[in-house]
Amino acid sequence: MGTNPELVALMLADARLPTGGHTQSAGLEPAVLAGLGADGNKLGEIEEYARDRSRTVTRVEAGAAVVARYFALSGLELTPVERAWAARTPSQALRAASRRQGRAYLRLAGRVWPGVLEHLPGDGEIARPVVVGVVGAVTGLSAVQTARLIGYEDAQTVVAASLKLLPVDPVDAACWLTALHPEIEELADAVRGLTGPGEIPACGAPLVDVFGQKHAAERMRLFHA
Amino acid sequence: MLTTGLLSPRRLPAPDGVVRVALVAAGALLLAGDQVRIEVVARGNVRVEIVELAGTVAYAMRGGSARWDVDVELSDGASLSWHGEPFVVAEGAEVDRSTSIRLGAGSRAALRESLVLGRHGEAGGALRTTTRVALGDEELLVEHLDLSPGRRSGWAILGDSRCLDAVTTLGFRLPEAEQTLQLEGAGSIARRLVAAQHTSDLGEVWAAL
Repeated sequence: MGTNPELVALMLADARLPTGGHTQSAGLEPAVLAGLGADGNKLGEIEEYARDRSRTVTRVEAGAAVVARYFALSGLELTPVERAWAARTPSQALRAASRRQGRAYLRLAGRVWPGVLEHLPGDGEIARPVVVGVVGAVTGLSAVQTARLIGYEDAQTVVAASLKLLPVDPVDAACWLTALHPEIEELADAVRGLTGPGEIPACGAPLVDVFGQKHAAERMRLFHA
Repeated sequence: MLTTGLLSPRRLPAPDGVVRVALVAAGALLLAGDQVRIEVVARGNVRVEIVELAGTVAYAMRGGSARWDVDVELSDGASLSWHGEPFVVAEGAEVDRSTSIRLGAGSRAALRESLVLGRHGEAGGALRTTTRVALGDEELLVEHLDLSPGRRSGWAILGDSRCLDAVTTLGFRLPEAEQTLQLEGAGSIARRLVAAQHTSDLGEVWAAL
């Protein structure tokens, strides 16, 4: 078939793809409301926040995506992967946010790559990493490409959202993202070989949960999550 | 059966159907090389209550490390209530804590866990925790926290909080509240990130159980 996995990865990482990426801040908005960045006086905290995420919650996401990809390629039912992800995502607000995003991805993917619908219901509320993993399986992404995509996307989400929330120079933002490359590679390398739901990392980040819960109840906000 | 090692468990008076056990340190705890292991197995119509008579301090370990492992198995309706006192990780301590809980049909558990980084006036040592809970054959909660210095102080982890206080219920849920995490399966975690343990309001959450 005529799909190049590299082009698929570029498409999936592109905020212009209509999956609602611009509505996400990866928890940065509530963290800024709580004081991250000190009103522009400690902008380095944005990069630290992205790095903390890549060592914790993003590792759970990337692991779930890699295992979902493996399950889809093996013709296995994806429910155990979704359950393992849910057991590692204690905040109901963050599970709901991920499933809203998963729904948007699935709606798109069902039309662009219909093979996805052989594995997941088109109208399902499925965790975003599970959907991304299945898209990866259907379009020929390798395990490491799938994990890298998740790692990059999370860091880029934080950095891009920071431009709307704090007085950030866009070139500084690009420098932070570049400085995070080794972290993203390390993450991709750590999860690329996973095949079982029980192996998915379970690295928690208590403040991410606190902010996620708080943000879900907030009315005035720029980002959904 | 109660056996003594680093901890000395003592049976306390309790009504029928309740087994109440106090954990008392048998000597100085927790020092480099210490490996505390607590196993709780209960079957049938019994409620096990574990109380700690004092908090625990993990002292400076000068390059060494210590472990604190808890293994719980409840089946056929047995329940567990465990009110932990503050677990203080002093400067220079290096501690791994693991909690593994398996719940069978009709069983439930409630736990209070207060992790404190540093005694008064110090930053505190390294603490890593692993929690693994299964309800029947399903994972209910799996969580690994790395609370080492250099890993914990960011805006994603603990910020400048020095105490991670939690009431966790397994097999049943706490009432809805903004800062109560409702697990996908039957269970909840009410968590407080506070500067000092005594400022947490989880004592009230526990009392209302």
